[in-house]
Amino acid sequence: MVALARKTLVYEWRRFLPAMLAVGFAGLLQLLQIALVLGIFGSTSLYITGSSADVWVGYPGTQSVSLGRTIDADVESRLLMDPAVRQVEPYLWIDGDWRGPRETGGVSVFVSGIDPAADGLMFSKILSPELRRRLAEPDAIVIDRSAQDQLGIDIGQTATINGQQVRVVGISRGLRALGGVNVLCSLDTARRLDNDPTDTGPTYLVAKLRDAAQAETVAMRLRGDTAFGPYTAWSAGDFANLSVRYWLFDTGAGAGVLFLAGIVFLVGAVITSQTLIAAVNGSVREYATLNALGVGVCALRKVVLEQAFWVGALGLLGASALGVVLMLLARSQDVPVVLNVPAALACIVLVLGLAAVSGLAAMRSLRRADPATLLR
Amino acid sequence: MHSASAIEPLHTPALRADNVSKAFVSGHQRTQVLDGFSLNIDAAELTLISGPSGCGKSTLLAILSGLQKIDSGRVWALGSELGQLDLRALERFRLQHTGFVFQGFNLFPALSAFEQVELPLNHMGLSRDEARRRARLSLEEVGLAHRMRLRPSELSGGEKQRVAIARALAKQPELLFADEPTSALDAANGQIIIDILHRIAHTHGTTVLCVSHDPRLVVHADRVLAMEDGRILSDRRTHAAVIDSKENPA
Repeated sequence: MVALARKTLVYEWRRFLPAMLAVGFAGLLQLLQIALVLGIFGSTSLYITGSSADVWVGYPGTQSVSLGRTIDADVESRLLMDPAVRQVEPYLWIDGDWRGPRETGGVSVFVSGIDPAADGLMFSKILSPELRRRLAEPDAIVIDRSAQDQLGIDIGQTATINGQQVRVVGISRGLRALGGVNVLCSLDTARRLDNDPTDTGPTYLVAKLRDAAQAETVAMRLRGDTAFGPYTAWSAGDFANLSVRYWLFDTGAGAGVLFLAGIVFLVGAVITSQTLIAAVNGSVREYATLNALGVGVCALRKVVLEQAFWVGALGLLGASALGVVLMLLARSQDVPVVLNVPAALACIVLVLGLAAVSGLAAMRSLRRADPATLLR
Repeated sequence: MHSASAIEPLHTPALRADNVSKAFVSGHQRTQVLDGFSLNIDAAELTLISGPSGCGKSTLLAILSGLQKIDSGRVWALGSELGQLDLRALERFRLQHTGFVFQGFNLFPALSAFEQVELPLNHMGLSRDEARRRARLSLEEVGLAHRMRLRPSELSGGEKQRVAIARALAKQPELLFADEPTSALDAANGQIIIDILHRIAHTHGTTVLCVSHDPRLVVHADRVLAMEDGRILSDRRTHAAVIDSKENPA
C-alpha cells in the first residue's frame, strides 16, 4: 500500500508545520497548566499523602481535610475491633491565630495535633524521627521552612497560638500549605491550644491496616456502622482525591482550568483544521483524479484522517519533549509541578481529540474533490 | 491483457447514450448542453471527439464515464446502465473498468512515478506483488522504466502525462477516457502521447474515448466525431479496416 498520507506529510512538511505547532503548543499549555494546578492544589492533601495511614475516619460529609469536625473518641474502639486494623491513632485539626515574636500581625495557622510516637502514622513520610521525638516535649511545635518568614520566628523562640504559648523545636520541609501555615505539635499540645469547648473528640482517626490493599473494603465496612455517632470512613487515596477535588472544583480553580482547556482546544483546533483544509485543497485535483479512477471517497477520507492523526502524534511528541524539559526546570526552581497518569492521559486525549476534530473538519472539504470538475 | 487480434469490433457498443439531455444552471441562467443526444462508441477503437470549447464535448465525456448525472435519457457503459448505479456502485464500476487521463496531470507531488501508478491498484484488491508488477509494466510501456523513482517535480510535462497514462493503463481498464491529453504539451511530447493512446486501443483492445481539439490526433483516431453546440456535425472513420457498424447520431 502506498502510504500517501505519510509521504505527503514528510514531503510537504512545511505545509503541515503550523498544524503540528498548534497541536504541540496546545498540548504543552495544557500539560503545564494541569501540572501547576496539581502541584499547587496537591498540597491540600499532604496531610494524607505525607502520612502512612490506610484508612481515614472523620465526620460525615467532610469535603476536604481542612474542613473536618470532631467525632466521638470512642469510634477508636470500633476501629480496633475490626480484624483488618493494626493500629489507630487520633489526629486533631485546629485552626489557630498566631502571634509571633516579630511584628507579623495575625497569621492564620493550621495546627495538626499528632501522635509523636516513633511509629506514629501522621506525617511519617515528612517528619524525621528526631523532629518527631522533639514534638513530644510540652508546647513544642514544628513549622515548615517556607513559613519561617511568614511567622517571623526561628528555632528555640516562642510565640502564641490562640493565646497559648508554644515553642519552635524544629523546622521541616514539605509542609507548605495553601491559604495558611501548617504547624505540627503533639496531641497533648494541640488539645491545650484548642479553645473551642465543644471540641471533645479527635477531628480524625487514622488507621493502619494489616494489608494496605484492603483500604477500600475496610473503609466501606466501617462506614456502615453508626453505633458510635456520626462518622464515616475513606481510604487514604479516596480522601486525598476528595480534598484535591474540593479545592479544584469548589474554589473555581478547576473551572478556570477547564475554561482555559476549552480555549486552548478551540484555538488549536481552528489553526489545525485550517492547515489541514488548506492541505486538502492543495491536493483536491489529485484526490478527484483518484476518485475518478474509482478510489472511494471513504478511502480518501481515511487519508485525511490519517494525516490529522500524524499531525496530532508529532505535535504530542514535541509537546512531551518540551514539557519534560520545562517540568524539570520548574522543579529545579521549587515551582510546585506534579503530573500524574490521569492528567497526562487527559492531555493526550485533548491533543488527539483536537487533531481528530480538525481532521473531520478537513474531511468536509474533500467534497470539492468532484472528478466531474476535472472535465471543465 | 487482451491481445489485439482477439478483439473483433463488437456489435454491442462499449458506450451508448440514448436521448440524453443535460443542462447546467448557474443563478437564473440555464444552459442546455446536450438535448436528446444519442451516440454509440465501439469497443477497441480510439474515438476522438473534437470541437470548439463549450460545444459540450467534455460534458459528454463526463456523462459517458459516469462522472456526471444526466437530466434525462439513458447511458450504458459495457452493458451497465449508469443511471441505475448509486454513488458507491459507480465508484466500483470506475475502479474495475475505467481509466482517466486529464489535461492537468494531477499527480501527487510527494509520490514517485511508480507510487502514482501503484496507488489506485492498491484499492483494486490486488496483491502487493501484482500491483507492483503491473505498475512496472505500465511504466515500461509508456517508456518511463528509467524514470520510475522520480517525483513529478523531477519530470517533464510529457513524462508527467505518460505517468498519468500509465496510472490509468495499469488498471487494465476496458474504457479509457482522455480529456485534452496533449493540450499542455509541446509537439514532440504530444505525438508520444497520441501514439501511446493509439497503441492502447489497438494492442489492449481498450475503448479509448478522447476529447481534444488537437488536429494531430485526428490522423491517429479510428473515428472522429466533430461536435458543435451539443450536436454531432460529422462522424468520420479514418481507419480503413473498421468500416462496419456505423450508426447515425442524432
